[in-house]
Amino acid sequence: MKRLKSLNKKADLLEKALDREAGQATDQTAGEGKSSDPNDGQTAVEEVYTMSTIAGCTSTLDPGWEVDPFGGTAFLCQPMEADLYGCSDPCWWPAQVPDTINTYPDWNAGAASAQHDWRKLQSVFPKGDK
Amino acid sequence: MKQLFKSVAPALAALAAVAALATQPAAAKDYLLTGLKPDKLALVDIGAREIERIYTIPDGAGAGPFTITPAPDGRVAYALVNHWESVSGIDLDTGEEVFRANFSTGDTRIKGAIAMEISPDGKELYVFQSPVKLLLGEYQVQDTRVAVFNTADGIGAEPVRTFPAPRRTALLSSSTDGKKLYAIGWDITAFDPQTGEVLEVLGVRNWDRENYSEPDVLDVWPQWEQASTFSTPYYTLRTDMSMEDPDAWKTGMLTLDLHSGEMVQRDFESTAAIIFSTVVNPVRRNEAYGVYTQLSKIDVAKGELVKRIDLDHTYYAVNVSSDGSELYAGGTMNDIAIYDTETLEKKGEVRFPGGQDMGVASLRVIER
Repeated sequence: MKRLKSLNKKADLLEKALDREAGQATDQTAGEGKSSDPNDGQTAVEEVYTMSTIAGCTSTLDPGWEVDPFGGTAFLCQPMEADLYGCSDPCWWPAQVPDTINTYPDWNAGAASAQHDWRKLQSVFPKGDK
Repeated sequence: MKQLFKSVAPALAALAAVAALATQPAAAKDYLLTGLKPDKLALVDIGAREIERIYTIPDGAGAGPFTITPAPDGRVAYALVNHWESVSGIDLDTGEEVFRANFSTGDTRIKGAIAMEISPDGKELYVFQSPVKLLLGEYQVQDTRVAVFNTADGIGAEPVRTFPAPRRTALLSSSTDGKKLYAIGWDITAFDPQTGEVLEVLGVRNWDRENYSEPDVLDVWPQWEQASTFSTPYYTLRTDMSMEDPDAWKTGMLTLDLHSGEMVQRDFESTAAIIFSTVVNPVRRNEAYGVYTQLSKIDVAKGELVKRIDLDHTYYAVNVSSDGSELYAGGTMNDIAIYDTETLEKKGEVRFPGGQDMGVASLRVIER
């Protein structure tokens, strides 16, 4: 791990949590008492996951397009195009598909059919004037 | 003479019957109403399996019509358009825009946040709104609310009143007598639509079921018009069982009778599939049907899964014919699939020739 550098805030928190858990394990092995973690029963790593979960129209990266609620892929939308506009129109996963309500309203202009026009859809980038 | 009358009488009777038929209005038929990208409304003669008409909504371009609310008499369709900042009412006979409300004003950007309903007498339109003040240095989020419009105000309609409503409201649904307006979100809040007074709050996320976790509910599909019953699946966890036990994870159906106001929440299976939206059969009222990538038939009275089949692709929305015999799956891509409610066998489909996606448009049934 020491050869890897965290690229974002969540990864940084995760790395620190792993170090903290490793330190606590060492303390307990040394017989210095129980964990001082205030969230008794929740590990430091779990806390990072919990606190990084954002709901709503934000830059969340929830599972949904990648993994279904059962941890597999059988219950993802079939085909992906069936879900494409259903996710971008209500700003459901704006980290995966642009938010067409406010920020990129014309992202799918001229691409009325997800199934046939998906090649016309482009990546989006932060706007300089925002 | 008697003989002559005898021979002519059947013909006269037949003529009289034809004349009587001619003077009666034609029997109302079921039509489906949905939206197509970027700015179209589609009316489908579902019995004939034909597209009746495609309407272009003026200044409606955007992600596409989202929520579609038909007038009770089936003459006008109200659609949330313009990136959720306008409602356009289209006369389904003439194709003309007869109602228009643009929400945003000055420095305040106002989105109609999906939920929309019309009063049973067709006179008032209820829109859930989320306003934000766009100031030079900051955005100020304002309280969410229901804005009430008079449908008779036509083009340029302004709200005649507003009242606060809970954030996260995803659907507005009127009781059949128009005395309650249900705002469906984390819980179901019943308002007096005339005064904005909260009449009751029905617990959903805040339900009081012993040994159950908070349920997870996602429902943005208004499709209660046939059975006058709002329905949605919920997903929950038995807290008195191990999370490792697959039977601890439960799927159930929430039904809200818009006539009596009775709400029922009943599990029907250990979670084994995803269901996005459901509809209740107006004839066999114990039956509900849910869609996503599979079609599920549920006995809501017994709390049992009756049958489940694979669909050709994912569908978000489902509705049902007035006689309860057919299901219509839509709300994604560009086809409406038709299934038998008894057997769940596919009976046909209607495909929009331009290939336009329905996005996440409502799928409504109207009679004309």
